[in-house]
Amino acid sequence: MILDWLLPALIGVLLVLAGIGAVRRMNLWRAGQAEKVDFIAGLMAMPKRYLHDLHHVVERDKYMSRTHVATGGGFVLAMALVVLVHLFGVDSKILAWALLASLVMMFCGALFVAKRRLNPPSRLSKGPWMRLPKSLLTFSITFFVLTLPVAGVLPDGFSLGVIGGWVFTLVLSVLILLSLGEMLFGMTWGGPMKHAFAGALHLAFHRRPERFGGGRSTGLKAADLGGASHGVAKPSDFKWNQLLGFDACVQCGRCEAVCPAFAAGQPLNPKKLIQDMVVGFAGGTDEKYAGSAYPGVEVGHAKGGADNIITDGLISSDTLWSCTTCRACVEECPMMIEHVDAIVDMRRFLTLEKGETPNKGAQVLENIIATDNPNGYSPASRTHWAADQNLNVMKDVKQADVLFWVSDGAFDMRSQRILRAFVKLLKAANVDVAILGDEELDSGDVARRLGDDATFQSLAKRNLATLSKYRFNKIVTTDPHAFHCLRNEYGDFGADALLSISGESVEVLHHTTYLNQLVKEGRLQLDTFKGGKVTYHDPCYLGRYNGEYEAPRELLASLGIEVAEMERSGYRSRCCGGGGGAPITDIPGERRIADMRMEDVVSTGAELVAVGCQQCTAMLEGVVEPRPVVRDIAELLSEKLKEPEKLKEPEETIEAEKIMEEERA
Amino acid sequence: MSDFSSDNIIRRDPRAEWIARNRLHPLHDSVVSAGRGEVRGPSGLLRKNPHLVGFIGPNGIKRIDRANTNSSAIGGKKWSAPQDVVLPLHQVVNPEGYIVVVPDMVGGRLTAHDKDILGLAHKLAGEHANFAVVAVCFGESKETQFDLAGVDRLIHLFGSEFDGFAPEARLSALMQIDAQYQPQHWLFPDSINGGADLASRLAARLGERPATQAWQVSASKTVCRGASASTDITRETPKILMLLEECGDAIDETRHEALPLDLDGYGLDYWERAESRLVDKGLIAVDPNAIPLAEAEFILSAGNGIHNWDQFHECARALGATEGASRVAVDDGFMPRARQVGASGTWVTARLYLAVGISGAIQHMQGIGQCDKVIAINTDAACDMVKRADLAVVADSEEVLSELIKLAQQYPLSIDNVSNVNEENSDAA
Amino acid sequence: MPPSVNMVALVSVGRHPQSGRSRRAEQDGRAVEMGMNLSCDIDGQLSVVHVGDSKEPVLRQYAGMGLDALTVLEQDSGLDVLPGVVTYLKETKANLVLTGVRAERGESSGMLPYLLAEQLGWPLVPRVAEILSIKEGEAQVLLALPRGQRRSITVALPFIATVDNAAKGARQTAYGPGLRAQLNVVESEDNTDDIATSWDISPAKPRPKRMKVVKAKSAADRFKAATAKPAGGGGRVMKNETAEEKAQAIFDLLKQEKIVR
Repeated sequence: MILDWLLPALIGVLLVLAGIGAVRRMNLWRAGQAEKVDFIAGLMAMPKRYLHDLHHVVERDKYMSRTHVATGGGFVLAMALVVLVHLFGVDSKILAWALLASLVMMFCGALFVAKRRLNPPSRLSKGPWMRLPKSLLTFSITFFVLTLPVAGVLPDGFSLGVIGGWVFTLVLSVLILLSLGEMLFGMTWGGPMKHAFAGALHLAFHRRPERFGGGRSTGLKAADLGGASHGVAKPSDFKWNQLLGFDACVQCGRCEAVCPAFAAGQPLNPKKLIQDMVVGFAGGTDEKYAGSAYPGVEVGHAKGGADNIITDGLISSDTLWSCTTCRACVEECPMMIEHVDAIVDMRRFLTLEKGETPNKGAQVLENIIATDNPNGYSPASRTHWAADQNLNVMKDVKQADVLFWVSDGAFDMRSQRILRAFVKLLKAANVDVAILGDEELDSGDVARRLGDDATFQSLAKRNLATLSKYRFNKIVTTDPHAFHCLRNEYGDFGADALLSISGESVEVLHHTTYLNQLVKEGRLQLDTFKGGKVTYHDPCYLGRYNGEYEAPRELLASLGIEVAEMERSGYRSRCCGGGGGAPITDIPGERRIADMRMEDVVSTGAELVAVGCQQCTAMLEGVVEPRPVVRDIAELLSEKLKEPEKLKEPEETIEAEKIMEEERA
Repeated sequence: MSDFSSDNIIRRDPRAEWIARNRLHPLHDSVVSAGRGEVRGPSGLLRKNPHLVGFIGPNGIKRIDRANTNSSAIGGKKWSAPQDVVLPLHQVVNPEGYIVVVPDMVGGRLTAHDKDILGLAHKLAGEHANFAVVAVCFGESKETQFDLAGVDRLIHLFGSEFDGFAPEARLSALMQIDAQYQPQHWLFPDSINGGADLASRLAARLGERPATQAWQVSASKTVCRGASASTDITRETPKILMLLEECGDAIDETRHEALPLDLDGYGLDYWERAESRLVDKGLIAVDPNAIPLAEAEFILSAGNGIHNWDQFHECARALGATEGASRVAVDDGFMPRARQVGASGTWVTARLYLAVGISGAIQHMQGIGQCDKVIAINTDAACDMVKRADLAVVADSEEVLSELIKLAQQYPLSIDNVSNVNEENSDAA
Repeated sequence: MPPSVNMVALVSVGRHPQSGRSRRAEQDGRAVEMGMNLSCDIDGQLSVVHVGDSKEPVLRQYAGMGLDALTVLEQDSGLDVLPGVVTYLKETKANLVLTGVRAERGESSGMLPYLLAEQLGWPLVPRVAEILSIKEGEAQVLLALPRGQRRSITVALPFIATVDNAAKGARQTAYGPGLRAQLNVVESEDNTDDIATSWDISPAKPRPKRMKVVKAKSAADRFKAATAKPAGGGGRVMKNETAEEKAQAIFDLLKQEKIVR
């Protein structure tokens, strides 16, 4: 029979073609910059990363996770067995039956894929992706039929007559060609199945291997300064494994669904951005892109090439400046693609090389350079807020248990209320605390997110030089942005060398974490909060960047508050719109991100929204009244702090507690 | 010593006094109630009639108004009439030296800055015997009080060559003055109204090193600001000084002669010799909205409470105001971002800030901290902007704005008229 | 053929008003911006010149505006910069000099452009907001007047222009190009500033605020002046009046403030 030799030949030819495609694709990635990667360890770790870490993310969508396990797992198993059974002709009933079983599994999965594609949500890309379930079904059916004789279900000599045989052979050959074309050829030549090939390698050679195995890696990588160019101007300026990462995208659009800028109608769609990056390094235009566009930007006009400047024709710089760096897309991405890294890399080029930070960006950066704070206030007025606080300054005391990192909220009258509330709590708990006073500088967060890594690095080094003069056990800050910089980004500049009083490494804590410790240790006595419904907004730089979701909620619970959670909370919390310098670059959209977040708050029926970030406070309070009240958790706690007099008289306290218990009962 | 005007001379009327003393005289009542019933005793001393002091209050009780707040109602016109004070005349006869002041004369009048400098000039003149203070005034002058401002001698140079922007012609006149009168000091306002420019030209031409941004001057020592006002430079007092505002106290206790002083060659073709390389093409009409927000003098600012934006723009046009906006109005897309007032927008320095429908977020209040006068139109009487405002109107913005537009249109406006620009500046200064 | 307009922007080291730290001087930055825009619009070239220390980091900020090179007339601080600049301008045959009105450091007298004009015999155009055009050797210039007003003048090349704060702001400085720009260092003659050496320079003392002086003629007037509430201290709130009355009150205040006449 013709199929006896045609089938292995087809499989062989397509495998070879796939191999050629793979080499070609790899060469595209290699246009990127060198990056040290442990290839062997990466490849070894890949299966676990795929099965465990990636599955963990995919699992958030149960339907898709099960579908994918069946389809993907079935296909991988089936393909391996197809090679053994049909290419090498291993004549084994067991293998054949295993192949049949895996094809059935794949068929079932593919049915669900097809069902999903019947009425797909807008976040999914259409185009070639609509044909994928058909290809999957074709593959499973075709090879099922082809394997039946091998498994002995149908006799070898099974005949349909001469013409029937020819027609049957012809139909089967076409089906084989179609399905293998999609599954093998398409995998390396840019079809939807590319995600399997690039995705697997992306998992192996990921730029942030720490993210696997439950770790967290959110600090931006430091830019090399002093070279012929800074940041990413052309696709070939990305690291090669970043390019590989872009290729791994499955266009599932989960990033698009969570992106606050996209929802606000700003010209950003993380999925389109990644696809444009692929267009960039592979060359061509975005005509074939079949998903949602950047709001307000028509698809089909973007052109790119590996050595073309990205912002000249591929994407507009407004797209890059719309990002709030909230990391919602990165958190959601089942392929663990790093959108924020790529965006900041490209911003670095715009700021460091072209000097094109939009709107107030230039002024803010200039202020940071000249005054070490974004608004250009006198550096000598940094401690004015604490004039009546009687706080120790490190310069005088040299060492303290806790170093309170005040951050630039010191200059803002609203944020000062949070600072004072926190100081009141520290004093009530008799904490040995000191501030740096005027020696403190901006943490560099804004400069770094705006792409000015030179200024960030200068600030980081100078701040570390100041910190290393003193001894302390903990740094505590009310600003999650400074917290993130100190904890995750100063490490590149020698933060690990800071030693506590006892000679151990210094702990960096957000104030909610630290206050929670104090409450648990019984050092803060709190009354019960009596007010309406309360919800809690997770700041991106506290939650997604640093994984602190529990401490704020425990603190609220210690006030007797039962948090009415928003639909998007925890790792899925929606950004307030205040991060990444977005209020500074101020790219116009149809709506404001803060307004949308406030709608989330309102929909819980809460009268008060608790936050743990001065930036979030400012953004949410910027929403036009009437709206729920916005309070930092430190403010809520300090309002409910039991007066020290009462503590001194235990009887009264006990009585009060009794009364409270009665009330509760 | 100032009460020598004829109104203040007390003339006795012996007959009226006699009638006033005689309670039985048929005319007594009318005399007593006329005027203040001033009664003088035989020695001429003023006598007070205690029965006539005070008035009957609303409750029928007699009240005595010792603070005399209602005095005009009771009478005594003679004493409450505005007094034309005649100050003593300061005369300089045959002066031995001169101190020359070149005032800005913005809009043809002496500015407060000019008057301070004239005051300082007298302080310097006082350290020499018989020195006269000379003011040099170019072009048409509307000033009527050179004598009260401390001008002993006045060089008033008319002529079309000095009109408008003519620093070169003015410089050659100053050179002529310097040659003819050899003044001890040249004093200029260190201002953006032309004073600093002219002074620098004169100093460069004369090869003198001037003191700039001077604020403490005596005959021997001068303290100047340097390095963008971050240092004080103490130095010997040079011939040419550019002075900051409030460098001296304006003259207010003497009158001066303001005698015209001749300038040789004035009116001859001398002036035409001054080659004019800068050709003045006149003032340009500036749209109030083209003025940078930070520089604008009068801002009409819109917030969330504005619903009729066409009306708002019309009102700004009618009043000649520069438009501003709150963050919310900008976020909602009604106004461009460049118009945002506040800590995160532009910090404004307007003399008058009219906030319509802005409740006053803390960042906004920070941004208008330097405004002199604030007017608020708001429906919420409890909002922060109303608390901050010098005049607050609790009403719907639309009604008030439409009334304002009417008022502005009825009133002859001069904002668009370029020829009045100088005058405007004079009052702004 | 040499360009018809040979522009030189003189730049100095600025001083941030809040921190006192070095920065691009506000007006000098605008002068460079003006020069860069002009060299795009007309047939001209711009060179940027600084007199002082070639190691000054702020020069990199000027260069970061997109300059390929910067000329530094190397000189110690505290010396007279004028002779060096005059020589340089004569040598390079410049015919348009752009610079700030006043430096932000040192004496900040603003005399340098005037002395240059005097020595070169060129006209000086003070406080320029914008150079609209340069055609056939004649420039049309807008001067900045207080409160946003403008005056138009024409002047023939060569001339010196001092650039006002009302001119277009200096563009953002970019780190990379600033770092890579070439610095042409020219040794300059040392001329001591003899007059300035005798000066006593100290940090600025705050100036006393002028009090309202009351020249009272009688005890009652003095008493009134001492006890009277400052006028307009409390804001007036109008609630129940008609819209006309409210508008009239606002309009009266505008008139009183001479906003409208």
